[in-house]
Amino acid sequence: MAVSADGVSVGAVQGEGTRGSAEPRRRTRREVARLLLGSGAVALTPVLAASRPVESANRQRPTDIPFDETYRGRRIQGAPLPFQGLSALGADWRVTVDGNPLHLMRRADGTWLSMLDHYSWYRTPLEATRAAVDELGPRRRLRDLAPGPFGGEHLHGEGRHGVRA
Amino acid sequence: MVYVRKNVSRLTAGERRRFVGALLEVKRRGEYDEFVRLHIRHFRGDGERGLRAAHMTPSFLPWHRMLVLELENALRRVDDSVTVPYWDWTRNRSATSVPWTDDLLGGNGRRGDRQVMTGPFAYRNGRWPIRAGVTDDRFLTRDLGRARNPINLPTKADLDRALKDPVYDVSPWDSTVTKGFRNKMEGWGPDTNPWLNHNRVHRWVGGAMLGGGSVNDPVFWLVHAFVDLQWQRWQQRHRNHRYLPARPPGGSRGQDGRIVARHERLPPWDLTPDDLEDVSEIYRYA
Repeated sequence: MAVSADGVSVGAVQGEGTRGSAEPRRRTRREVARLLLGSGAVALTPVLAASRPVESANRQRPTDIPFDETYRGRRIQGAPLPFQGLSALGADWRVTVDGNPLHLMRRADGTWLSMLDHYSWYRTPLEATRAAVDELGPRRRLRDLAPGPFGGEHLHGEGRHGVRA
Repeated sequence: MVYVRKNVSRLTAGERRRFVGALLEVKRRGEYDEFVRLHIRHFRGDGERGLRAAHMTPSFLPWHRMLVLELENALRRVDDSVTVPYWDWTRNRSATSVPWTDDLLGGNGRRGDRQVMTGPFAYRNGRWPIRAGVTDDRFLTRDLGRARNPINLPTKADLDRALKDPVYDVSPWDSTVTKGFRNKMEGWGPDTNPWLNHNRVHRWVGGAMLGGGSVNDPVFWLVHAFVDLQWQRWQQRHRNHRYLPARPPGGSRGQDGRIVARHERLPPWDLTPDDLEDVSEIYRYA
C-alpha cells in the first residue's frame, strides 16, 4: 500500500537502500511507470532532508520585538528563540494563541505567513499572528499537529521547519 | 493501460458517484488522513533551512503530480474505474457550478463557522470527519470567493501568462522569482497582485484550503489535477524546454541542498523530477 500509517512511521530515519540527496540511477520510462503504479513500490518513506546551515547574503536581524497582548479576545504571545535559529534569515520565533502553538513560516523575502493562511504574508511575526487570529474567528482553537522541537509529535527528521512552537 | 482523467463537468452521474464513493472509502480506511499529514509536513517557507520539495520550489509540480498519483492509486485500489477528475476553474467559475454540487463535493460553507452543510463531505453525514486539520474543527470548511472581501478565480488569461513563459524556473528558485512557468503557475505574486493561478484558487476556496490542512478538502485533488494538466500543456508548447535546474545550483545563491534538481531525489519518494516529467504511459487528460 502506498500510503499508510506504517508508511509514514514516527521518528523513522532513512533506511538502507535510500539514497538521500545523492543522484539516483536513471530509470527507463517503463521502470518509472511500473514504480508509479505498483502497489507498495512507492512507500512514503520519511527521509532526512539535507538540512545544512545556510549563509544567506541577506541575513537580517529580527525586526520585531517580543509581544504579549490580547487581540480580539485572544492572548497572543511571541518571542524570538534564544539560540541560533533554524531559519535561513535569522532568529526563529515561538508564537502561541491562547497558549496553543501557532506555526509561522518565513519567506525568502523576510516576510511571515502562518499555518492557518499559507497565502498571505506579513512584515512581522506579530502581524502574521494577528492575521491568523482574524482567520481563526471567535470560536476555533488551534490544533498542534506540527512536528518540531517544542512539543507536538516529532514526526520525522525532516520536520525542522523554521518557526516552531 | 493508460487511463484518462476527465473534466469534472463531463463526468456521468455514475462516474461522480463512484469517484465520491472511492474518496469516502479511502477516508474510512484511514489512508486519506495520511495524505493530509504528509502535505502539512512538507509545507515550509523558502526563508527556512532545509530541503523544500513541495512549495516555493521548482519541484512544486512533480511533487504534487506524485501526490495526486498516490491518491489516485488509493482510489483505484477501491474502484479501478475511478480516476481523479480536474476542475477547470477558468470555465466553471461560480460557487454553485461543478464541482460544488450535491453529487460531487457539496457547496459553500455556511456563514459564521463556514461549515460545509451539503453534499457527501458534510460533517453531519458522518463520513468526512476532519482529524488532521490546523484548527480543532471537526468539519470541513469553505469560504468560496472570500465573502468579506470578494475575489475572483484566476482566468484563462492568467493561465496563458504562465504557459507562454518558455523557461521552467529561474534562480533563486523560490517564491520571489517573477519569471519562469513554475512560479507563474504556483502563484506567488507581488504585493500588488499576491495570488496568481494555483495560489489564487486556494485563496478563493478558503476555509480548509487556505492553510496547511488543505488536503482535507477533496477539491485539492481536482485543483492539482488541473495544475498538472497545465504542466503537460506547457511541455507540449515548449518541447525544447525541461524541468530546471538540471543540476544542483551550487552555493552561490544559498539554494544548494534546499531545492531538488532534475536528477535528485524528490522526498518522500524514491523518484526524481526527471522520472516524473513524462507520465504518458500512466494517464492522459481528456
